[in-house]
Amino acid sequence: MTPGATSRQREPIDWSQLWAPGPRRVFTAEELARAGGDAPSRTLVVMVAINLALLVFPVLQAVPPEALPRVSALVIGVAVAAFTQALRLWRRPSRKALLLHSWFGLLAYWAFVFALRWRVDDPVQRRWVLGVGGAALVLCMVGFWFVTVYRAHQIEARLRELDERQRVADMARQLAAAQIQPHFLFNSLAALEHWVQAKDDRAAPMLSALTGFLRATLPLFDRRLLRLGDEAKAAERYLEVMRLRLGPRLRFSVELAPDAAEAMLPPGVLLTLVENAVEHGIVPQVSGGEVVVRSWMDDKEMTLEVSDTGQGPPDEVAEGTGLSNTRARLQQAFGTRARLHLCGTPEGGCVARLTIAPADGSAMKG
Amino acid sequence: MSPVTALIADDEEAPRGQLRAALAQAWPDLRIVAEAVNGVDAWDAFLEHEPQVCFLDIRMPGLTGIDVARRIDGQAQVVFVTAYGDHALAAFDAGAVDYVLKPVDSVRLGQAVQRVQTRLAQARGPGEPAAADLAALLSRLAGEMSAGQRRSTTLEVIQAGVGKEVRLIRVDEVVYFESDARYTRVVHDGGEALIRTPLKELLAQLDPQRFWQVHRSVIVAHRHVATAVRVDEGNMHLTLRGRPEKLPVSRHFQGLFKGQ
Repeated sequence: MTPGATSRQREPIDWSQLWAPGPRRVFTAEELARAGGDAPSRTLVVMVAINLALLVFPVLQAVPPEALPRVSALVIGVAVAAFTQALRLWRRPSRKALLLHSWFGLLAYWAFVFALRWRVDDPVQRRWVLGVGGAALVLCMVGFWFVTVYRAHQIEARLRELDERQRVADMARQLAAAQIQPHFLFNSLAALEHWVQAKDDRAAPMLSALTGFLRATLPLFDRRLLRLGDEAKAAERYLEVMRLRLGPRLRFSVELAPDAAEAMLPPGVLLTLVENAVEHGIVPQVSGGEVVVRSWMDDKEMTLEVSDTGQGPPDEVAEGTGLSNTRARLQQAFGTRARLHLCGTPEGGCVARLTIAPADGSAMKG
Repeated sequence: MSPVTALIADDEEAPRGQLRAALAQAWPDLRIVAEAVNGVDAWDAFLEHEPQVCFLDIRMPGLTGIDVARRIDGQAQVVFVTAYGDHALAAFDAGAVDYVLKPVDSVRLGQAVQRVQTRLAQARGPGEPAAADLAALLSRLAGEMSAGQRRSTTLEVIQAGVGKEVRLIRVDEVVYFESDARYTRVVHDGGEALIRTPLKELLAQLDPQRFWQVHRSVIVAHRHVATAVRVDEGNMHLTLRGRPEKLPVSRHFQGLFKGQ
């Protein structure tokens, strides 16, 4: 999936391909090392050799005996040279290299023609050597062009695949990092340790809330979609841990309509919104505040709201990795059907509102 | 020798308790004179008690631990207390900043305590301002932290109830704020008013470029300051442009007026 749809405009014709054919993309050394370090496959080499032999054999049959030594030497010489050059193009497929090789081949042919005039008197031999040499030149040029274009496409496709794989891995890693925030974990463990040592009654509920949170969070990483109701359990455990830690500074409520709880969402969406509300809405407030999670279905459209009574949304849209990652995963799962919007509430807090339109678009009518 | 005094600041109760217990083990002679539940309180408690050592949580509402450390400006030994995963840690590891991780580990705390004790023994009299590189590090961290936060709340208008009416006072017109028992007195171009917001909370909402705190109970708009007069060793006051009042400058803030 590439971001940005293909443009509707017709692609302009690149006339420069007429006199300088070849791939337009120029690979950097780093890109070549990443995606172009391999040698041509053995199958490819053997197939090219067999095809060449099949092509050369009938030609050699037709050559008059007196021209045979020279023509054979020419064919072998050209084949070896062409193969070496083709390998270089394979390693660094570029338009510039292709152009240089073509010019070099043409120059070599002209030099060869002049040399023939001086050294070979027999017109039959001359005609054969010239003809086979010319055919070899054309063959080489086509071969070079093919190698360059094929190889450039191959490397480009590989780079794209590697990038995509990297992006998916990055997103998964960011999700993992966002969900198991070491800061949250260690602060909670610190509180727990103290309450255990001090024989405080809050130790037991803290331990069970933290355990519940971890148990509900760990399956997040290997699922593509998760029931909202299941993730809400993890979010509630998280809020309980934070309420134990912050005391009366945090109040919260979670209210899911039964049909909305069945909605399937990419894992981590609700948790990210709740964590944002606590971290940016409640914790910075000296007097704390309230987090309210609500979800409902309205004519097949699902709405999930997480609101806090903090300072309101940031002035400029400088979203953290958690939120942008959430957006990316929503987009991957629902395309344009999912809308995530952050705005201020009349009371001065912040509300994150996620709506997911039904797939058939029946809710779009009104 | 009187015991060394300390301040503990953390917005959560449990880590405060844990640190208190751990310090009782690692430094039995230490006298904890104040505990604060947010950055604003921490700064106010520092001015009130002038402790020699401050244990500051980094993430606190009001003012962050970094902000408080910048204000303390080397006048006390600062040890940051933070949870693993705080991005400030990377900067701390490179610099000469003392920190301990939560949950507080007795070995690590013991090392920090030893370093603080060594430095306290070296420093004679009032501490010198923080080393330039430390101040630069703290100001960079403070910038990074505020960039990640939501809207910075710079106060523009103050609402003051006067009799039956509520008067709106533009912050631009304020000459100084003075805390007065349970109220804060706002002296402005057009008179004065009393508001309920404590001075320490106002401080976090005022533009530090325009308003200077010069005393635990006084914040002044520096464009109204005419002169700073040193009365005797340790005492200083400010005179204002076109006004008769004299405002006290406490010892911690006298460095603001040192002449060029």
